[in-house]
Amino acid sequence: MKRIPYILKKEFLQLRRDRALKALLFIMPIFQLLVLGYVVSSEVRNIYTVICDLDNSPASRQIIEAIKNSGYFNLKYFETRESHLPYYLDSGKASVAVVIPQNMSRNLAKNQKTQIQIIVDGQDSNTSTIALGYISGILESFISEKVGQQLANAPEQVDAHLLSPNIRIWYNENLKYSDYMVPGIMVFLLTMVTALISAMGLVREREIGTLEQLLVAPIKKYELIIGKIIPFAIIGMFVLGMALVFAKIWYDIPIVGNLGLFFLFAIVFLFTTLGIGLFVSASTHTQQQAMFMSWFFMLFMLLLSGFMFPIENMPKGVQYLTYLNPLRYFVLVTREILIKGATFEHLYNQGIALAIFGAGIFSFAVIRFQSRMK
Amino acid sequence: MKPRVIPLMHKEFIHIIRDPRSLILIFLWPLLMILLYGHAITFDIKEINLGLVDYDRSPQSRELFMRLISSGYFKISAHLENRSQIEEALLDRRVLAAIIIPQGYAKSVATQFKTEVQVIVDGSNANTATVAINYLKTFMISYSLQMNAQVLRPPLQVEPRIWYNPNLSSTNFIVPGLVAVIMMMICALLTSVTIVRERETGTMEQILVSPIRSIEIIIGKITPYVLLALLDAAMVIAFGRFAFSVPFRGSVLLLFVMLIAFVFASLSVGVFISARAKSQQVAMMASMVITMLPSILLSGFIYRISSLPTVLQIISYIVPAKYFLVIIRGIMLKGIGLDYLYQPPLFLLAFGTLLLAISVKRFKTRLEG
Repeated sequence: MKRIPYILKKEFLQLRRDRALKALLFIMPIFQLLVLGYVVSSEVRNIYTVICDLDNSPASRQIIEAIKNSGYFNLKYFETRESHLPYYLDSGKASVAVVIPQNMSRNLAKNQKTQIQIIVDGQDSNTSTIALGYISGILESFISEKVGQQLANAPEQVDAHLLSPNIRIWYNENLKYSDYMVPGIMVFLLTMVTALISAMGLVREREIGTLEQLLVAPIKKYELIIGKIIPFAIIGMFVLGMALVFAKIWYDIPIVGNLGLFFLFAIVFLFTTLGIGLFVSASTHTQQQAMFMSWFFMLFMLLLSGFMFPIENMPKGVQYLTYLNPLRYFVLVTREILIKGATFEHLYNQGIALAIFGAGIFSFAVIRFQSRMK
Repeated sequence: MKPRVIPLMHKEFIHIIRDPRSLILIFLWPLLMILLYGHAITFDIKEINLGLVDYDRSPQSRELFMRLISSGYFKISAHLENRSQIEEALLDRRVLAAIIIPQGYAKSVATQFKTEVQVIVDGSNANTATVAINYLKTFMISYSLQMNAQVLRPPLQVEPRIWYNPNLSSTNFIVPGLVAVIMMMICALLTSVTIVRERETGTMEQILVSPIRSIEIIIGKITPYVLLALLDAAMVIAFGRFAFSVPFRGSVLLLFVMLIAFVFASLSVGVFISARAKSQQVAMMASMVITMLPSILLSGFIYRISSLPTVLQIISYIVPAKYFLVIIRGIMLKGIGLDYLYQPPLFLLAFGTLLLAISVKRFKTRLEG
């Protein structure tokens, strides 16, 4: 045990001398937080739209104005020939086309049905659904305004009863999407730094040949493992703390819950990621292999963690698969603690799962590492 | 020049074949990614878990619940006694939203012009919350119109038409995009790491002292990967086409030609990185920052470019995957031809040539200095 501090010292010395790695470890997380934060939490807006107003009446202009004022659509093109609309969508210049038919205002006056056509580039199902939702909402409020006029113009008292929802939003009143995504990014950074870098660090020594020197040195296997793992754990926690401070300052994310509880969960989670790093480094010969293997693990873990894509939307089979993913629990814990202020009693299931995964993966990796060293 | 390049390529091929683990990953990884991405990325929210607090307990309130369920968008996950239980249900994540039916609801619906129903939504995931709110609003409007069908006649109808992907399947969107991302990753990562590995293990000096010019080294190094990448792309596209039945409306030949331009551009990124990086670790991290992240985040693969902040939109112009995404989606989903697609490949070729020229120069100075 006395020898561990020397190994630690060596590791930190090595890290200090590797300027590029240092920059990547400490600057990249901030950079990723910036880029990922903006991209992942971007709302659908600035949808390029072509308008084909065949009616050209006050009513049609009212509709166009409403679409424009919603702030989601960028009315880039106005086209007078309906037959030219395919050009805009085929070339990708616009992804939505709105066609207001020729006799809309006349029909409205006579209370006859009119159809407004919306053509949506359906390639991106998410954007299309949202764009359709926005535009239908705009038209619906236009319709209910017309219905209101109908009621006002009705000869006798019309007997109508309407339901209206009075919606209150909890935890994130302004529906700021970054409040939800940025904590997820922090988890991603912690996972990457600890799993990937620890995997690479060990294989590197094997590739250069310095691992043999370490093995013949009078240190025990477990000392070597501890000495190798602790620096990455410290760096991981440091990166997490740094990301948290940055997220608070830059994105103004809420920190409602108990930070101590959050860091406690993070430490439990570290056993999983460091275990994966150790396992990868024990199972590979070259850094390239280590890199591929860690990416392989990471990609699946990320994808099935609910970080970017909500688990509830996945097919049932894939949803069950996510229970095997330790990242899933930690992403959830992070969000629930930071945004909703959940306490341990709401999260103990996640805690148990994380502890089991951590203990299992870590001890498996240690056994594998030790047998490889012989 | 030619004869010296061939042995170099041969050597590189041997390197690739002797490392079966990497080889398996090169071919297995894309397939697994497609399998998972194709299934896991779906944006549409199917059912929203609702909690109910019914203070009225009337046939009318039950009617409202039945309508909510039969609309297909909601699932009643919890019947709550009173409003103080809502917080617990939201914190336990049993429900995403709770509806509170006030006492006297039945009477109000029969006599009043407007009846308010309170809804509490968990806003922590803004995206899901927005969708839930939209569903609830739409439901209330259509339920109101149904209840008053005799007196209210909406004069306008919205007729949506969806082109290129009428079922709004996420798979059709994601799978062609994946081809771009996988290609970029494999091309840039592999090439950048192999060159740096030679430098790290010291074999690069041996190649450099041999009478081969630096352009030949680069050509010899990347050609095997061009072939591998093309094979990989063909496999991924075929898999997407037949296993996920992603439509292929345009010309296969055109796509293949464009693919070469893209592989060229992405390999040149790898060469560019390797001309600079000193260790594999650095090369790998740099490849990730320079290729993978932009290809996933700033290419339009999942996130629309025009929704991003302006600075990121400007950066997206130098992301090769962005151009290839336009090409592959255009050909596969829209079925458009060269008349709409001549610009992106020109950019890719220019981009690749520029990067290669810089890298060759860099290699030369290393050799001489």
